[in-house]
Amino acid sequence: MSSQKKRTFKIEAFKHHVVVDPKYAEKTWKILEHAIHEIYNHNASGLSFEELYRNAYNMVLHKFGENLYSGLVATMTWHLKEMSKSIESAQGGLFLEELNRQWADHNKALQMIRDILMYMDRTFIPSSHKTPVHELGLNLWRDNIIHSSKIQTRLVSTLLELIQKERTGEVINRGLMRNITKMLMDLGSLVYLENFEKPFLEVSANFYSCESQQFIESCDCGEYLNKAERRLNEEMERVSQYLDAKTESKITHVVETEMIANHMQRLVYMECSGLVSMLVDDKYDDLSRMYSLFRRVPDGLSTIRDVMTSHLRETGKQLVTDPDKLRDPVDFVQRLLNEKDKHDRIITAAFNNDKTFQNALNSSFEYFINLNSRSPEFISLYVDDKLRKGLKGVSEEDVEVVLDKVMMLFRYLQEKDVFEKYYKQHLAKRLLSGKTVSDDAERSLIVKLKTECGYQFTSKLEGMFTDMKTSQDTMQGFYASQSASDGADGPSLAVQVLTTGSWPTQPIAPCNLPPEIMGVCERFRAFYLGTHTGRRLTWQTNMGTADLKATFAKNQKHELNVSTYQMCILMLFNSSDRLTYREIEQATDIPASDLKRCLQSLACVKGKNVLGKDPMGKDIAEDDAFAVNDKFSSKFFKVKIGTVAAQKESEPEKQETRQRVEEDRKPQIEAAIVRIMKSRRVLDHNNIVTEVTKQLQARFLPNPVVIKKRIESLIEREFLERDKADRKLYRYLA
Amino acid sequence: MKDTVKLISAEGFEFVIDKKAAMVANTIRNMLTSPGGFSEAQHGEVTFPEISTPILEKICQYFYWSLQFASGKETEFHIDPEITLELMLAANYLDA
Repeated sequence: MSSQKKRTFKIEAFKHHVVVDPKYAEKTWKILEHAIHEIYNHNASGLSFEELYRNAYNMVLHKFGENLYSGLVATMTWHLKEMSKSIESAQGGLFLEELNRQWADHNKALQMIRDILMYMDRTFIPSSHKTPVHELGLNLWRDNIIHSSKIQTRLVSTLLELIQKERTGEVINRGLMRNITKMLMDLGSLVYLENFEKPFLEVSANFYSCESQQFIESCDCGEYLNKAERRLNEEMERVSQYLDAKTESKITHVVETEMIANHMQRLVYMECSGLVSMLVDDKYDDLSRMYSLFRRVPDGLSTIRDVMTSHLRETGKQLVTDPDKLRDPVDFVQRLLNEKDKHDRIITAAFNNDKTFQNALNSSFEYFINLNSRSPEFISLYVDDKLRKGLKGVSEEDVEVVLDKVMMLFRYLQEKDVFEKYYKQHLAKRLLSGKTVSDDAERSLIVKLKTECGYQFTSKLEGMFTDMKTSQDTMQGFYASQSASDGADGPSLAVQVLTTGSWPTQPIAPCNLPPEIMGVCERFRAFYLGTHTGRRLTWQTNMGTADLKATFAKNQKHELNVSTYQMCILMLFNSSDRLTYREIEQATDIPASDLKRCLQSLACVKGKNVLGKDPMGKDIAEDDAFAVNDKFSSKFFKVKIGTVAAQKESEPEKQETRQRVEEDRKPQIEAAIVRIMKSRRVLDHNNIVTEVTKQLQARFLPNPVVIKKRIESLIEREFLERDKADRKLYRYLA
Repeated sequence: MKDTVKLISAEGFEFVIDKKAAMVANTIRNMLTSPGGFSEAQHGEVTFPEISTPILEKICQYFYWSLQFASGKETEFHIDPEITLELMLAANYLDA
């Protein structure tokens, strides 16, 4: 390789035949210039593309590109100046049309020129960093036409005038508008912005500011929103019809600001038609319009939400504190449910199911339900009413719906333990009197409570159900063992064995049962203790019921359904005709308040007065005397003597329940404190209070004062001690 | 619109080829599609006073080859060395 001499290649530049004619460039350009004139004059049909292209090609090839380019600029400018004159002289409405026509001409000519000068575009322009022909044509148009002093302002004002006309309902030539705005866009977005969009937005802001002022003086809220929505849609349609798409957000912003944001407060609070009356009257359309319009502006939704919240709280507060409405607990809860349903519907139908609105609704309910300390009791009473009779003959799904609604109210309660207390009482009465409509419904509700509050909350309630079931079995066993030894003549007995602790029983001295009953009871006791050793049975005579067969004068027979106490009283009249209050009290040992109530329902209720009282009167006095009312009659064979059903508690009972609840809370608070201290070892007072509140809020809201007392009690019992240096710190003593 | 176009060489030879093939060259495409009605578009024929017959023939061959190539079949386009230079000049002119 090295020995061989390298042959060097040399590539010589290709030599064009040199143009001898010094006037070549000038002559060639003349041909092209003439062609450009012809093109602008619509005379191109006779021209040969090939010839023109070849001339331009050769000019560039022979380094006359510069001449070609500058010639083009000059010629085009001259034509544009001519066009500009013609546009300026157009009269009135013809102005835009002339402008549009000339623009179309220029565009077409520009394309033809670009095509014949294609070679220059391809080679000369990139190497000499000049503007390509098409862009050059647009720039020249912009500078000579759009920015000509006589056209520029006239163009803007004409466009705005037309839009104004359209806003007031006239029909304008939208196609023309579209062509003109498209032209401005073609010249560059800056041209569009400066020469149209900016002034357009300013004028629109003015227009809508005036219009909204006028509307708000003359329309109610719904009407105003309707108009605002229409305007907004009009503007959006306008953009889609003949403006650049990017303008949409800007013009809608103008409308939103002028028509909505600036008047938001006034609209919402408008008397007789504002948000509150829309809510009250269930105006779904208006509300939904308000929602979709307000959503567009900052703080719009929060404004609606705040007003709705304060309205809800206000009406809710009235609802739960109006003493008139507290008279009937069932009605009270039904009202709450109706209120909730109503607003749920509004949120679904008009507020797009907005989560933040749902939250606002929930927090409002939580706020006002807890304003009334009797809410837990009333909700339980509502359930009681439903489960006793309200749900009779209702399909399973509907039962679930009702129960779910109740659960929803339950969730709002802060004092869930108070609810539990009442619920237990009411459930006990339902179970013992056999009044519950459906076992499935009862159990379903308990399952719901369990998922909501955990096992601990419902374990006792479930225990009650178990007791009922076992009692049934026990009774079957009892009768199976008795039937042989004893005749079926005596009274039949149904005992429910209740586990102490699961049931809301109070230790109560049993009354004296009639001897007939006593006998069966004793046999049962023997049977029960025979199978279950180590247990103790006490009779809860205040809770039972009895069916009595009674014969009145004229051999009228009735079956009386009474409470155990009432049964004891009535049985006394088997052996005597007339008894005084004191005699009855002595014979039965029933507590005075219960005795009075029983006698009242036996002697003073019209249609059920199986006893006569002397002297007559509504109230029972201590020296009253009673006798069997022989004249008693009823169209029914079975007569139910009113056992006082679950009713809302009287004031002292309420106090008592409250006290019991407070009592029950103590160990729970203590347990929480110990749990917390066990893991934290050392903690200051405020932190303990916060933690305890957090742990217990699923059941109730503990009072800080009570927490402090519990801490002190724990210190006394040496679970905790105060830090020696910092008295606010507590230490856990293991 | 006709589907064919007539290309005329410097010597006056006429080549009638498919418009589709002729449009491979951007220059010819513009000639035939530019608005305003240039004479070429009206008559469907183009005269090339600077392109000789053999070169124009080769060019027409290239148009068809290029169409084929565009549809995926890869073959070699044979060019005789002696006409290379002239052919390239023409190609530059036609932007093909």
